[in-house]
Amino acid sequence: MGLLSLLRKLRSSSERDLRIVLVGLDNSGKTTILRQFANEETPQVTTPTAGFNIKSIQSNNLNLNVWDLGGNSKIRPYWKNYFENTDVLIFVVDSSDRKRMAESTSEFNELLKDEKLQNVPIIVLANKQDLNSSMKASEVAEIIGLVKLKDREWQIQACSAIDGTGLKEAMDWICKCMKK
Amino acid sequence: MKNQYHQDMLPLSNYLNTIYLFFRPLIKWFLHRFTNLCELQRLVYGAPDGYRRYKLVERSLYLSKRPQIKNLVYCLNEITSHCIPESLIDAEITTRAIDTILNVKKIKPKYHPGFSDAFGRCIDGIYTYKMLESYVEKLRLQQYSSENFEHEQKLLLLWNNLMPNIPLENRITKQWQQIGFQGDDPSTDFRGMGILALDNLLFFSSEYSGTARHILSHSQHPKYGYTLAVVGINITHMAWRLLKSGQAKSHFYNLSRTHGYLNIEHFHQFYCYLLYEFDSFWIKLKPNNLMEFNNVQERFEKSIVKSTEKENCLFKMNLSVENV
Repeated sequence: MGLLSLLRKLRSSSERDLRIVLVGLDNSGKTTILRQFANEETPQVTTPTAGFNIKSIQSNNLNLNVWDLGGNSKIRPYWKNYFENTDVLIFVVDSSDRKRMAESTSEFNELLKDEKLQNVPIIVLANKQDLNSSMKASEVAEIIGLVKLKDREWQIQACSAIDGTGLKEAMDWICKCMKK
Repeated sequence: MKNQYHQDMLPLSNYLNTIYLFFRPLIKWFLHRFTNLCELQRLVYGAPDGYRRYKLVERSLYLSKRPQIKNLVYCLNEITSHCIPESLIDAEITTRAIDTILNVKKIKPKYHPGFSDAFGRCIDGIYTYKMLESYVEKLRLQQYSSENFEHEQKLLLLWNNLMPNIPLENRITKQWQQIGFQGDDPSTDFRGMGILALDNLLFFSSEYSGTARHILSHSQHPKYGYTLAVVGINITHMAWRLLKSGQAKSHFYNLSRTHGYLNIEHFHQFYCYLLYEFDSFWIKLKPNNLMEFNNVQERFEKSIVKSTEKENCLFKMNLSVENV
């Protein structure tokens, strides 16, 4: 018993608090992704996020505090107030919305320029893969210029927030990244 | 059915509740002996008209062990899970309930002339609330579609109500952001709240056009502004939650006491009240920016829920600015 509780203590002290920031255009699926990460039900009942949501998620001995910032163009200027001490940035793209790919790209480039996000690993989620009209993850990576990125670790992950496919892989990458 | 009922009683500690349920038949038997009245009669004659009486009658019906009453409750729940026209409510719901109760409880209308009427009004309130719930859910599940002519018309009407002097240049335009949608096409903003959110906003902007424009001007304030349409959709979510959880029953049952059958217009009015009050709440708090929305909304919801816990709760728009 004594040994077990000691081990448990050691384990819990090695748990780290991480700060993950989830951004992307409006209607890209950030809140649904957040709910899937937190294993919540009924992702159908969503409303546009005015402001932000935050949830703590335990995964692989890590304690992840995920900040889901609203994608509304009116609140994008406030994103940068939340970048301090960020460990991983998640950028969500609606892969089915070809018309707004340019807008996504320009927001993405703005993020790369931000000083507080220097060297912060980035994972791009090419969301809505369940729709037929969606672009492949590799196409998305190409368009937003992810492949040219050299100053930090990055990853592209195809996913579908509605049924949760691809999100486990995304979480595994984040945890692997943090354990290095 | 049972689960739903238990949710309503959460404030009562489960412990006390079990004890009460155990002794309930005995207590009822005693009271019946001494007063010569059945429980429903005691409630209808004794409890103050409105939420308190309706709530107790509802509870009494749910807890009844008589097969005919169980069957009645089952039937009424079935009927109200669809939406039936108002003209059928009396025959399908009210009369059915009154007849069953008079029959099972052997109440003679000749000696109890007031009972049927008063009991019928309780049934009207309780079951038109359920019907309202089903109808609201139906609207919510209807997704906005750009190919639906009626939806498109409603959207354009919303613009005209809020911005009567500025024509919309295009269906897809950044102008939508002026009334607080997120991008250049509002159709993706309704999401989980569907047509219900659009109908709510449209009702507010048509019924209280002056107030709506006044609130719009608040929302466009450079420092304390917010995105009106998006906030409006989130308020629809809140109104829907309150209706579904039963927390809004106090307001709606009290409303039914004076207004009879509840219908979708009453829900829209409830929404207008919430949106109008939210605006005042926001202005008073002067948050730094829209990022504080969830925090402010939570505090606002808490204050509303607190009001619904009062038995005489009845929300009324306190308009001081209509048609400024």
